[in-house]
Amino acid sequence: MKNSSRGGDLKRLALSVMAASAVTILPTHVSAQESLNLYNWGDYINPEVLTRFTAETGIEVTLDTYGSNEEMLAKLQAGAKGYDIIFPSVHMQDVMAHLGMLEKTDINQYTGFSHVDPAFLTATTDPKGEYCLPYAWGSVGIVYNKKLAGKVTSWKDFFALTEKGQKVTMLDDMRETLGVGLIMNGNSVNSTDPDELKAAAAFLEPYKQGIAAFTYDSIPMVQSGDIAAAHWYVGAMMYVTQAPDTLDYVIPAEGATKYQENMCVLKTAPNKENAIRFLEFFTQPEIAALNTAQQMNGTANKDAIELLPDALKNNPNVNPAADTMSRLQMFTDLGKGLRLYDRVWTRFKTSQ
Amino acid sequence: MIKSNLPRPRWLQPLMLLSPTTLFLLVFFCGPLAIMVTYSLLEPGIYGGVEWTFYDQNYGRIFGWADGLYEEFDPIYLETFAKSVRLALITVATTLLICYPAAFWISRLPSRTRSICMFLITLPFFVSMIVRLYAWLLILRPTGVINQLLMSLGLISEPLEMMYTEGAVIVGMTYIFLPFMFLPIYASIEKLPGSLIEASQDLGASPVRTFFRVILPLTLPGVISGAIIVFIPSLGNFIVPGLLGGAKVMMVGNLIEQQFLYARNWPFGAALSFMIMAAMLFLLLIYVRVQSRSIGASRGEGV
Repeated sequence: MKNSSRGGDLKRLALSVMAASAVTILPTHVSAQESLNLYNWGDYINPEVLTRFTAETGIEVTLDTYGSNEEMLAKLQAGAKGYDIIFPSVHMQDVMAHLGMLEKTDINQYTGFSHVDPAFLTATTDPKGEYCLPYAWGSVGIVYNKKLAGKVTSWKDFFALTEKGQKVTMLDDMRETLGVGLIMNGNSVNSTDPDELKAAAAFLEPYKQGIAAFTYDSIPMVQSGDIAAAHWYVGAMMYVTQAPDTLDYVIPAEGATKYQENMCVLKTAPNKENAIRFLEFFTQPEIAALNTAQQMNGTANKDAIELLPDALKNNPNVNPAADTMSRLQMFTDLGKGLRLYDRVWTRFKTSQ
Repeated sequence: MIKSNLPRPRWLQPLMLLSPTTLFLLVFFCGPLAIMVTYSLLEPGIYGGVEWTFYDQNYGRIFGWADGLYEEFDPIYLETFAKSVRLALITVATTLLICYPAAFWISRLPSRTRSICMFLITLPFFVSMIVRLYAWLLILRPTGVINQLLMSLGLISEPLEMMYTEGAVIVGMTYIFLPFMFLPIYASIEKLPGSLIEASQDLGASPVRTFFRVILPLTLPGVISGAIIVFIPSLGNFIVPGLLGGAKVMMVGNLIEQQFLYARNWPFGAALSFMIMAAMLFLLLIYVRVQSRSIGASRGEGV
């Protein structure tokens, strides 16, 4: 699943090297057989989906992975060629649309597009779905150790742990972590108001002692009891289902952020027709469900939800009700405003 | 054939002898440095990269001035730099404290044992640094080896907080850079003529006096080279503070990483990098000056 690979700068570096070498290899296996080259987050698609696609169409699929939106953009800007489909987060889709990197697919004209919940057409550059197909979404909430933390339902509970001398971790991501401060102060997670940002950091400040680390590698430590709870992605459900007596994941009552990735076809794609066929293939509810059941995140395919295993379908933290959904905010690209976050974040992290 | 018989101009020979080194430095040192300096004077692009217009706020920002978006004086980057220097110096001191006696001890071992020891010193290089650092996390964490041992011995009742602290960063950096300090010190200790130490003792010097008047000055070049090779990568390190410091201990390396990967501000990252480079070049220049002077002085004495 995508989230675990979001962590670790070196992991990212290693992935980049692997991806870079893959780029140079790609052009060798062309024509002869029909092919399709995906460039996706690490472990962010069920391999079975790809096998099914190849079985149905005879199109050979290759998959390369990246660790962050920025890395993927930088690779493509640096001239990486051969990729057909990429999976940017919505705000990165907007960036790429502004940079003219995305191909118009008219996927919304395809009959299967009716399965897609229009609520997921969230990209400002693509309000009708003429370019990209909504792929998957998830919340960023709290995963906790039941034996240490008891029941956690809110950010208030989460921070209260630190007051009881227990340790928590938050993500080493300035937008996510300052975002929690913004939510607690009732502000938008896309605020670029310097005072709101400073207030967000000021909210987190008193708990800093109890925040053991800013990291992505939190799950093993929650499981072993080294920390009581962690700010983490819904992908934690993969671990929760393996250790339901110890772990649990919750969308905090005050609200949280959510992420959404879409499937987009590149202007430079060598196999545009195959790429569009893959998008069409993925509109089928059973294919979307096949993917979500393995990924344990959310799907944008409203007819796929019915086909999910009960454990996922009935879990309000994975398949939340409308009022919970309304408390989830999504990041938009802030352009220059990002630099403001950088300053507040650096100040927050270095203060003693 | 004919050509080789022609006498070459005298100035050509040193030039040709130096050209591989010069070329190497031009391509791998001056080239990247020039790119970095150029980038540090440009405006950051909104989506990463640079705009090719002159931008004068990158260096001012390092010293705390406003940058057009953030309008307060805040010397946070200098604080971080000072902290990095402090942590790097502590790392130099801890590696030195471990390596100097160890190098002495190993150099006195029989040659078979000695080569085994040397092999053991280089052994960690066979395993990825990340893996070795994660191993430290397992050792230092609350449910880790050290805490469990101390608790089962009844020495402590609550686990000690060792993971994600400055101490953990120092332990990690000391561990990673130990061989870099060891090898130059060992080389200089191995060259130390035993006859000089004997002579010093014969002439009535106490062991302490022998150490400070004979052994230390003769091994000092090894200590200084070791200190430099440990100091430079420690100062710019971002992996150890990220992993063992839990990203709560910020060093200049982390700031630079942040600029390139998350804040999409390459020019500021380049300016920060240049600041480290400048500080290191300055240190190296001093070192070269001092060394050439001391060589000159010792030659003067000889005459």
